[in-house]
Amino acid sequence: MIINFKGAKTYIGTGGKSLDVSKMTLCFLHGAGQNHLSFIQQARFFAYKGYSVVVPDMPAHGFSDGNPCKSIKENAEWINDLLVELNLKDVVVIGHSQGCLVALELNRILKSSLEALIFVAGSNEIPVNQFLLDLSKENPQKASEMMVTWGHGIDGDMSINKWPGHSHYGEGNNIMCMNKSTALRYDLHACNDYSDGIDAAKNIKVPALAVLAKNDQMTPLKSGLKFLELIKNCETHTLDCGHFLPSERPMELNSIINSFLSKLK
Amino acid sequence: MSENYKFDTLSLHAGHIPDKETGSRAVPIYQTTSYVFNSTEEAASLYNMEVGGHLYTRISNPTVAALEQRLAALEGGASALACSSGMAAMHLVVSAICSSGDHIVASSKMYGANINLLQHTMPRFGVNTDFVNPNDPEAIKRAIKPNTKLVFGEVIGNPGLDIMDVPEIAKICNSKNIPLVLDATFNTPYLMQPFKHGANIIVHSLTKWLGGHGIAIGGAIVNGGNFDWGDKDKFPTISGPHFALGGISFWEEFGPSALIAKIRAEGMYNFGPSLSPTNAFHLMQGIETLPLRMKKHIENTHSILDFLVNHEMVEWVKHPDLETHPDHEVAKRILPKGSGSIVAFGIKGGREAGKAFIESVQLASHLANVGDAKTLLIHPGSTTHSHLSSEAMKEGGLTDDMIRLSVGLEDINDITKDFERGFRAVKKLNK
Ligand SMILES: Cc1ncc(COP(=O)(O)O)c(C=O)c1O
Repeated sequence: MIINFKGAKTYIGTGGKSLDVSKMTLCFLHGAGQNHLSFIQQARFFAYKGYSVVVPDMPAHGFSDGNPCKSIKENAEWINDLLVELNLKDVVVIGHSQGCLVALELNRILKSSLEALIFVAGSNEIPVNQFLLDLSKENPQKASEMMVTWGHGIDGDMSINKWPGHSHYGEGNNIMCMNKSTALRYDLHACNDYSDGIDAAKNIKVPALAVLAKNDQMTPLKSGLKFLELIKNCETHTLDCGHFLPSERPMELNSIINSFLSKLK
Repeated sequence: MSENYKFDTLSLHAGHIPDKETGSRAVPIYQTTSYVFNSTEEAASLYNMEVGGHLYTRISNPTVAALEQRLAALEGGASALACSSGMAAMHLVVSAICSSGDHIVASSKMYGANINLLQHTMPRFGVNTDFVNPNDPEAIKRAIKPNTKLVFGEVIGNPGLDIMDVPEIAKICNSKNIPLVLDATFNTPYLMQPFKHGANIIVHSLTKWLGGHGIAIGGAIVNGGNFDWGDKDKFPTISGPHFALGGISFWEEFGPSALIAKIRAEGMYNFGPSLSPTNAFHLMQGIETLPLRMKKHIENTHSILDFLVNHEMVEWVKHPDLETHPDHEVAKRILPKGSGSIVAFGIKGGREAGKAFIESVQLASHLANVGDAKTLLIHPGSTTHSHLSSEAMKEGGLTDDMIRLSVGLEDINDITKDFERGFRAVKKLNK
């Protein structure tokens, strides 16, 4: 659905169902340079399972207008305001990559209505190398292509896909191209500049789930595992794939999330 | 991991890795119509397009999917869909994008069935086409109307071998937000990848060079993922609510793969031109050697061109790699590896000479196909167009002495020797 939020056209994927605020809400937060289409195989899946699903395109991403947020905190505040605007109460926040950092910050603001946190291919920090930071300014398309290549496991190289006929590389590049050309640069800087992750992780009081990727070259498994040590009682799974876990291992991820959610109810 | 494999490697590997259970190195032929569901929930999620997977072979199949993913990788597209023939692919694209009242701009120099579909069949359903010269981007621009929903042409036209200036035409389409759909059968991704030049959708007859062995009919649509379908008034059945799945918006839910998602949910579901898994396997076997074959096709074509241009019995020779071809400069720019292995030539002596030549060669096969590993010939004047006068043929851009040659992979000396046999028969006739 499209709403006018903070004076800008804002798109929120709802998984093909209309939003019902009386239900538990799953709020999916996309990663750097991505948009709602990172969660193609999660949005419809959970909406059809009876959850209320919101997958916002952050400002300047996907179908949303506006200026990109400049920091992880700004992203979290934007999401917080959006959830208030939509009148959503029992929220499970699911972040992928940069979305995990935003979720960590959101945890500090959203306390009363937050039911659980789910981290997909995440960590408490996402340092970005200078080469990619520079490239995202000079040639965002090239930078996107490199991220799509690094971001996928062998399934990317071999054009293996659970969705018949789809290519992770071709689809991934074009998903990133849908964003405004400045979006990636702001995201990568926001990730690189974020340094409150350790405190934020220690501060988690709600049930938490983490699904990490064995061959993650963007937020390496080692970093992800160190992050999880900071969280009290975090259920952890590792899947054999690359960073773009939601599209590389959709069924496995969905069923892990599904059984975690069923324990919350 | 993250190797970014090159074209030759992808031709062999893309779309398949050996599964852990059987270790089968070759892509298995999943000769099945349907797939057992693990639960009712899983079945529902496949029907609702919540997740990817197979439910019925008319819609998708693991062997066919391996072929599709190989094609998507070779073209650099977001997604692909394989179907029963090149013509099925063409019809699926047109019917997915256009509805009654819509308009198409198409090349006037194309394969007969492509012309027929647009000129005679689609108007019965309210979709009309204006045909324009494919080498005239300005004419294409002028023909675009407010209700134009796609521009269509063949990169290398069959049989006239006109070359479309793809980057120029793509710029025009892009500025008007109209998808450029190209039949890339004659070039294959080995000679040219249209998405790199700004095209949006590719249609293939896999029957020809991609399959390459004249053993299976098949077609494919490759979706560049680089087109914005967001205008709900212009593309209401792709971005607006669609009757399938309770008013789904394919554009919102699937973004770059919206068109393929729509074709699977509507075209494959309701028209049903599916490719058999066994034919998908045969076509993939062909694609494994596409780079090797195309190299040799081009090498042999250039040798044959030399031979024909210098032959006393040959009146004229047409191929875009010859400087005499009107589109030679465009061909050099967009098809630097060569512009395919179809050659048209005229034999001194007109229609009778063409007939005598065709009937005397013994290695080259006289038949109605192109892109086989074997050399193929046809003489339209005595076969497909035998009912037409010389004048009527000229009006259609053909001459009655014309032979269409699809250059194969045989030893070049054997091909030329075979042609000499044909020319001797013509000489006898001319005496
Ligand atoms: C350029 C071109 N496009 C499409 C087709 C149709 O392909 P198929 O026979 O696979 O339907 C042909 C067949 O000759 C062709 O030459």
